[in-house]
Amino acid sequence: MKNMLCKGIAAAGFLALASTIGLHAQEFRVFSRTVQVHGFGTQGFVHTGENNWLTMNTTNVGSGEFTDFGANATVPLFDKVRVGAQIYEHNVGQLGKWHPQLDWASADYKFKTWLSFRGGKVKTAMGLYNDTQDMDSLHVFALLPQSVYPIDMRDATLAHLGGDLYGTIKPEKKLGSFGYTLYGGDRRDSIYGGYPYLLQIHGISMQQYGGPVMGGDLRWNTPVKGFTAGTSYVYEIITGTGQLNPSIALGGPNIVVPYKEWSNNDFMNQYYGTWSSRSGKLRLDSEYRRYWRDQDIFSGQFWVTTDVRSWYVAGSYGINKWLEVGSYYSYFTNNWNCDVPGQIPAPSASSPDRHVYDKAVTARINLKNYWYAKVEGHFMDGYAGFMYPDGFYPQVNPQGLKPNTNGVVVRTGMYF
Amino acid sequence: MKYTQWLLLAGAVMLIVPLSLRAADMKVIANPSVSASAVSADDLKDVFLENKDSLGGSHVDPVLEKGGPAHEAFLKVLGKSDAALQTYYRSLVFSGKGSMPKALASDAEVAAWVAKTKGAVGYVSGDASAPGTKVLEVK
Repeated sequence: MKNMLCKGIAAAGFLALASTIGLHAQEFRVFSRTVQVHGFGTQGFVHTGENNWLTMNTTNVGSGEFTDFGANATVPLFDKVRVGAQIYEHNVGQLGKWHPQLDWASADYKFKTWLSFRGGKVKTAMGLYNDTQDMDSLHVFALLPQSVYPIDMRDATLAHLGGDLYGTIKPEKKLGSFGYTLYGGDRRDSIYGGYPYLLQIHGISMQQYGGPVMGGDLRWNTPVKGFTAGTSYVYEIITGTGQLNPSIALGGPNIVVPYKEWSNNDFMNQYYGTWSSRSGKLRLDSEYRRYWRDQDIFSGQFWVTTDVRSWYVAGSYGINKWLEVGSYYSYFTNNWNCDVPGQIPAPSASSPDRHVYDKAVTARINLKNYWYAKVEGHFMDGYAGFMYPDGFYPQVNPQGLKPNTNGVVVRTGMYF
Repeated sequence: MKYTQWLLLAGAVMLIVPLSLRAADMKVIANPSVSASAVSADDLKDVFLENKDSLGGSHVDPVLEKGGPAHEAFLKVLGKSDAALQTYYRSLVFSGKGSMPKALASDAEVAAWVAKTKGAVGYVSGDASAPGTKVLEVK
């Protein structure tokens, strides 16, 4: 508790420091090169009426265990080469747990407009917002649609240690332009993410989780002003290792044995489109994601397939420079199957343990050019069960889950 | 003149006047080290959105004005509002995919910076003095 308090004070200190330095990017010169330093931090509060959400105790009073902050430095080493790194820390209920992460650290070589290279720990290009999902200041919504950008599963898609080939191709002006990214590398999830947390109910303590990933993103900036469409694909070979207490899920002896699980076939498809008006005030987004995983679990004793299908439609409008409003409908279903005794999926996706349908309305107030606040209402149908992380966890809902959850999220943040 | 003709004439004036004002409101300037003497609107947009970092074979670095008539006119070239542009730059900065361009407070500051910085490309008001820089024709 004392530790948490100290860290909360540290987060508050960051925000205070950020405001003290005037929330302007800091620049200084090293060996005749200009180093840029930027940062951000947010503090949120979540209250729900029925079920506890996102690993926080959000019912009753609500929870303020919703903090994140980050800082980065970049420097152009040569005309075409830029290097930089960002540290990110977050604590959302049982997630993150104040363990700082190297968010990205990369070198970027802009060879040509149509061909450039980026290597190191790189944010993965996927869909509209995968690489910026943590950057709350960029978004109107306090929580991006959780069906496609789940805060508890951010690690699963966020970054890879490896390299990108990327560029923009303009075949003909009347066709618009095509931006592409091809990448390969290794994904390493934090053990403080939603999946390792969920596995704890089965007596599994995950110690490492990840593996090789490869994929690409292709986006078409169409000749229609403001309209972009795209598609992304990623294939992964994921292995998790840790320890298992068989007495908890398998009825075995109360001992600790090595645990392993691995994917046999694991991929993700995403399709997306976005349109913004010429003035930039009106913006419409929509994305569809399918995640398929065929996996051996409990060291090969059982198999499980997970077929997550999710999409959302979102719209936002800037009424004036101070106030933006938005709304989305977010759809999540999990069609799973396995041979674990006693685990049988509900026959229909209309069952609340197979889906989460979330209607959200939000207002963002831009208090200063570096400080904003958001108020957001969520009206959720379903909790999607415990076979895959979906925002609702049995550990914080020991009394069982109710079919509907309404909630409010308040979030404020600063950046420089 | 018939009523419809007056309407057509008024429409034409409404179309032409803003375009000519836009051109007169802003000019693109570059450090003399930049070999190009003209730039297409598309390339200019790519330079300022950090998709492109060279013009005519010379490395370039964009410089913004924080506000004012030249900035407003330039935003029309980019097709973005100021808020959308700042959000775009922050998305690059915080995802590790770009950096924040230098932003200066006035025509005089932009002109002075462009004049002294190799590869700098900026914009100033159409009637602003920018000694030591070259004007790039926008095609």
